[in-house]
Amino acid sequence: MARLMRAAQAGDRQAYAVALEQAAKWLRRYFRRRIALEKLDDLVQEVLLSVHAKRSTYDPARPFFPWLAAIARYRWVDHLRAEYRSQTQELLEDTASEDSAEEPVMARISLDRLFDQLSPAQAEAIELVKIEGCSVAEASARTGQSPSLIKVNVHRGIRKLAAIIEKAS
Amino acid sequence: MDDATQALIDRIAADAAPVRPLRKGRGLALAGLAFLVTLVAVLFLAGARHGLMNGQFSVFFVVVNGLLLVLGLSCVTTVAAMAAPQVGAGHEGPKWAIAMAGVLPVAGVLAASAPGGVGLMHVEGIHCMYVGLAASVLIAAALFVWLRRGAPVSPKLAGFYLGVGSGALGSVANGMACADDSIAHLGIWHTAPVIIGGLVGRYVISRWLRW
Repeated sequence: MARLMRAAQAGDRQAYAVALEQAAKWLRRYFRRRIALEKLDDLVQEVLLSVHAKRSTYDPARPFFPWLAAIARYRWVDHLRAEYRSQTQELLEDTASEDSAEEPVMARISLDRLFDQLSPAQAEAIELVKIEGCSVAEASARTGQSPSLIKVNVHRGIRKLAAIIEKAS
Repeated sequence: MDDATQALIDRIAADAAPVRPLRKGRGLALAGLAFLVTLVAVLFLAGARHGLMNGQFSVFFVVVNGLLLVLGLSCVTTVAAMAAPQVGAGHEGPKWAIAMAGVLPVAGVLAASAPGGVGLMHVEGIHCMYVGLAASVLIAAALFVWLRRGAPVSPKLAGFYLGVGSGALGSVANGMACADDSIAHLGIWHTAPVIIGGLVGRYVISRWLRW
């Protein structure tokens, strides 16, 4: 990948296309359990656009994937910040099937691992509100945390994630 | 891979104009040049302090400006690196330098408020804070341009280091012209640009570092 990106930085379109395809495949695996599935393609495309805009910041002397992962995490945290509860709810209502019930479960399994650096209450609040698309009231009812505490935990959890983007897990 | 992503890749790859990789050394050179220009400007406009050219320094002058210089270099080096993101990058260096230089304002306040001191409200030299802040502008601008060209993934931290680093180096440039060697003056008015710079960088400049 480093060789392909070096060629891409020199203007080699074919190498760039191959590098982006590989990056897209890797990103799909990277995000698969960290975001609601209906948002996966959007997020992968956002990262690819960021990679394109900031491709000059890649140093060919260094490994490629830690650079890509830093950009991916940055966009992922951005994505968590965004309010998309309504879209998620619409999609879940439109595609009410057995699969749709599994999506948040898959996300939760991986998030439990990813959110190791958050407190359990913060991780739970983010999973419910930002991944599953629950309202604050619903999350409050499911966790036993007060609505204001849910909001505080979401806010602080995302702020903490934003601060540890470059930290190796 | 879905069609939309493949179409996006095709469109992006068709736009693969050559780019020059961002090297940390160029960021350091840019900040170094800004510091040099600032230093020359301060010396030209305010004149060198007495004894600067023939090596007559007070201990406080050396300690304060030495610590601020190390702090500034540490922050500038980290900011230059933060333009290129990398999982695994720590950016821990400036924290220790900040802790080290944090002794200075404490020493300044203690010296001013100690029995026999001039009193905290009567430490002269607020103009040094203004000059230090003015001297930090060009260095801050150079670092800002560098970060905007890059891809900082921790904008708040990058903004904070930008402010602290430029404030520290601006204060060092001012220190070459300031004749007051009292620890109360140096500890308060020469570190004020660092504190103000850090706050402005963290809460104001960082907003424009998002991408």
